[in-house]
Amino acid sequence: MPELTTSYVDSLAPNAAAIKNGQGLVRKKSFVKLHTSENGELLFGQCAGSGKTPYECSVDFITPDNPVFRCTCPSRQFPCKHALGLLYAYVEGQPFTPAPVPEDISSKREKAEKREENKAKQAAEGTESKPKKVNKSALKKKINAQLEGLDLLEKLVLSLIRGGLSTIDSKTIKTVQEHVKQLGNYYLSGAQTELRRFALLLGKGEDREESYTYAMEQLTRLHAFIKKARVYLTTRAGDPELALDHESTIDEWLGHAWQLSELKEYSLVKESVELLQLAFYSYDDPARQEYVDLGYWLELASGEVHRTVSYRPYKAAKLMREEDSFFELAQIPLLYTYPGDMNVRVRYEEMISRAVEDKDLERVAASASRSYGEALKKVKNQLKNPLSDKTPVMLLHAASLGVTENGQYVITDDAGVQLVLGDIPSLPQGTLELLPFLPASVLKDCCVLVMFEHLLDQGRLVAQPLTIIQGGAITRLLY
Amino acid sequence: MSTALLQELHQEVRRLYIAGSDLAAGDFRLKRLLPQFQQLGERAAVFKRLGEGITSLVEPGAGDGAPAAVRLQELTLLLESVLYTQGVSAPDEAPGELRSRNFTLDTRLPYRKLAAVRQALTTTGSGRYEIVIEAFKDGMFQDLRLLPLAIAALNDPYSEIAEFAMTAILPSYGPAITGYLIETLNLAGGKSEVRKLKVIAKAGGTEVLEEIFKAAEEGSDDIRAAAIECLGGHDAYLPVLLEWSKDKKKVIREAAYKALATGGSSQGEDRLYEAFAAKKDRELVADALAYSSSAPLMERLSALYMQELREAPQKNEDKKKTEQVWNSIRPFTTVLSGQQNPLLDELYSYVIQDHGRFSSLGFTTVMNEAAWYKQRAGTEAAFEELQHLEKLDSRYFPHLFRAAQQLMSAEELYKQFGGTLINKLKAVVTKDSAQRNKLLMDTIKEQVMNAEEIWYDAAWDPQRDRQYRETAMLAPDKIAAAWDPRWLDLFIHRDVPELVCAFARPDHAESRRYLLNKLSGQKELQRMLRNHDVLPNLFTGLARSGMPDHDLHELLISVLENGKSYLPYRFDYFLFQLMLGFPASYHSRLEALVPNQRYYESRAQLEYVIHHLKGQE
Repeated sequence: MPELTTSYVDSLAPNAAAIKNGQGLVRKKSFVKLHTSENGELLFGQCAGSGKTPYECSVDFITPDNPVFRCTCPSRQFPCKHALGLLYAYVEGQPFTPAPVPEDISSKREKAEKREENKAKQAAEGTESKPKKVNKSALKKKINAQLEGLDLLEKLVLSLIRGGLSTIDSKTIKTVQEHVKQLGNYYLSGAQTELRRFALLLGKGEDREESYTYAMEQLTRLHAFIKKARVYLTTRAGDPELALDHESTIDEWLGHAWQLSELKEYSLVKESVELLQLAFYSYDDPARQEYVDLGYWLELASGEVHRTVSYRPYKAAKLMREEDSFFELAQIPLLYTYPGDMNVRVRYEEMISRAVEDKDLERVAASASRSYGEALKKVKNQLKNPLSDKTPVMLLHAASLGVTENGQYVITDDAGVQLVLGDIPSLPQGTLELLPFLPASVLKDCCVLVMFEHLLDQGRLVAQPLTIIQGGAITRLLY
Repeated sequence: MSTALLQELHQEVRRLYIAGSDLAAGDFRLKRLLPQFQQLGERAAVFKRLGEGITSLVEPGAGDGAPAAVRLQELTLLLESVLYTQGVSAPDEAPGELRSRNFTLDTRLPYRKLAAVRQALTTTGSGRYEIVIEAFKDGMFQDLRLLPLAIAALNDPYSEIAEFAMTAILPSYGPAITGYLIETLNLAGGKSEVRKLKVIAKAGGTEVLEEIFKAAEEGSDDIRAAAIECLGGHDAYLPVLLEWSKDKKKVIREAAYKALATGGSSQGEDRLYEAFAAKKDRELVADALAYSSSAPLMERLSALYMQELREAPQKNEDKKKTEQVWNSIRPFTTVLSGQQNPLLDELYSYVIQDHGRFSSLGFTTVMNEAAWYKQRAGTEAAFEELQHLEKLDSRYFPHLFRAAQQLMSAEELYKQFGGTLINKLKAVVTKDSAQRNKLLMDTIKEQVMNAEEIWYDAAWDPQRDRQYRETAMLAPDKIAAAWDPRWLDLFIHRDVPELVCAFARPDHAESRRYLLNKLSGQKELQRMLRNHDVLPNLFTGLARSGMPDHDLHELLISVLENGKSYLPYRFDYFLFQLMLGFPASYHSRLEALVPNQRYYESRAQLEYVIHHLKGQE
């Protein structure tokens, strides 16, 4: 069994409410029985619920890295508050009396073991999961539908431009919303999102004058997307293999959700990678109708900054795990990387963690970009592509962090090139207000993780500091 | 590259997006820009392409026949791409060093914990206060990212949060916070700046006195008042405080009085006495002195009090005059309430002696103060005075009784107030003695009935996270120690069931009979049970009378089965515990009762008990 600490249990919880509720059960003494198996691998107990019979819950550490939670409660949250409460009770040092493993758990363990055996057997026999057969005619049909959908979208976009943004009223917005729905029939979920984003920009309560610049950019982005997608889909329809584009993000724009197996097929994987999370945040994206948990991670070996993205659709958000800041170093046997530019999206299935050591932070310092000239070139190169991620994140080394007379915060590289820091509109909250409270020691010869954004209406490229690393300490300004 | 020109073009195409691309043909403002692009286009290909884009837009037919909307999109797409490479990222001037402070804060909290507190401090809605308090208790405010929010909380619309930030959260950052707050303090500000000032004074100690003084001199009235109060107790500022106590503005004088009252210097006290005696600011000074305990000053005020009482009119002839006198007397009661000194002994004796005069003047507050004072004194002499007072006005009986409790043994007390059997028989005959009897019983009830406090969890409802508080009768051992046993007979005789319940004891068979009798009278019982305290009291009494558990259980369930009047929101603690002790076989009888219950809580309790009993079977 791993060492059980409050923060470890916290990290297992799907969300903050589950933490609170789990601890509440312990405080209210809802646990009627608390037991452990003779070898300590299994914790189990009974917890009073609203029903007449208490719930039977257990946490099985038979594979220590991957505890199994079981509970008889009907909650769809996983692990449920009862299993978490059981662990909190254990962490608190409440007495767990030894008892034989209940029958239903041992039978469940046996079944799980058999499943593992079967898997191993299959693997040994070499019957590797056969490559999925693609129904090519269906796929062709889908591509044709997508092309049709693009025509529909283009027609709408052009009519909006012909009429002018100033004539858009609630009725027009309604038409746009109807188109958003229709695009779903054409397998264009990515385009759906972008069109909805446009509608939101001009929707109720927004300051129109300010929104126009962004609405106009959204229209040109849709234009660029339609153009690129049409070319891509036409060539793909002509390709006998109908292969996906594994180099650009066009498939994601079209709404394709990459499967891990597909990424593996295109060898978009890296083996034994070490990642250190440098920043995290979570936001509500009404255009996607999802909550988005974003983590920025430094890959220690390559010095690249990747990102993890997990989407929680509004409808299922309550039942899904809300991601959290991660302070340890993640060792990942197989890392899947998505197509993209800077900060490619990554995913992994298995991970073990270890404490961060000084040598890791030295690697972080060595990975930071020391020339702002080059960094800016890279950023601008990405920004000029209309379909690129408009908020690239980079780790920069700063010789110093200072402030001008009129309150502009500035970082300076070794060559004396200066870069203005600012709070960008894309992030849910500012971080500059924290800078005056930092100790002097972290403001010199430090590494700053920044997110860039180009402000079209001001013609400025601004970087918002997310995290500062100096002298063996990581100061997270965001989360 | 000419960024200004690109920006200008961006403005023009933006205008066309807003107005509609149909208006692009022949647009003269775009036309006006064209030559510059053509000129620059000779050197840079991008400008050439942009120039071509403009041409195709303003001259219909020039392009490849695509509609104007498409041509506008193409041009803008190219323009935006170019602009994205032109973002300015250099500062307007050279940066200086960032001033840093000595905070020793970290950033170790994970998102999920931090976001909840951030949300509590940046939004409005219910439940925020609890989150903030909990977060502070858990030490979460030692996270750097909550510091600006804690400072902003001084301005929170929910004033409890603002006060909590002022008194607890911000001072916990120590001296480091004061430097920052002093820099950002706005002397002309309002409420939140006042709070800021108080934090500075609290966390900064003597080092910030100069700043406070500055605020006291230069700030807005609110700021000045708060700052002046903070200067109390620092000798160096005594002269200015004395001066401020004569200021033209009332708020300033008020603050200065408060500062002088906390200071405790003799000069300050002289000034306070002087201001009090002058009558104009008497109310202000009284409020400032309400929590003061300087004996010399109190004595001087007591003497003044005496003098003014003596000078009060003999009769209530002139209503206006009486009211005026009362207005100058009332502040004395504010300041001297709870004080004790020989002068006051004499003063209150004087008030009691002259009872007729002061009650005709309507100085009831003074009379009440006298009764309380004499009760607290706990001397024979004071007791006699109270006896005298009580004869004049039986309202003061409780004071007399409580004074007697301090002086007499349990037996003597009973003799004095319980009296002989013959007394008892006489007692309730006259109207006056009936009132006395009621006062006696009420005074005893006050001391006995809600004397103990019980906190317990709502075990029947694990979904809900709250505790219940209930009060209970004084414990039997405490009653036995403090009260004469004969009281119980008196209570039965005078028919005071509550007190019989409290005083009932196993060696007193009569009390159990009395209580059982109360439970048997069907009609009367149903009426009585509408008061939801009655049943728990009766059963507590029966338990105290030594009734065996199985009889109690049977009696309780039969009462519940018969009684339709007893449908409480929630069974009280004692009854609930009693039910948990029911024999397991009762569960079916309880199940039959569940549908009768009118309220969620009591039903949940019964279900819990039933479940508990079934578990025992």
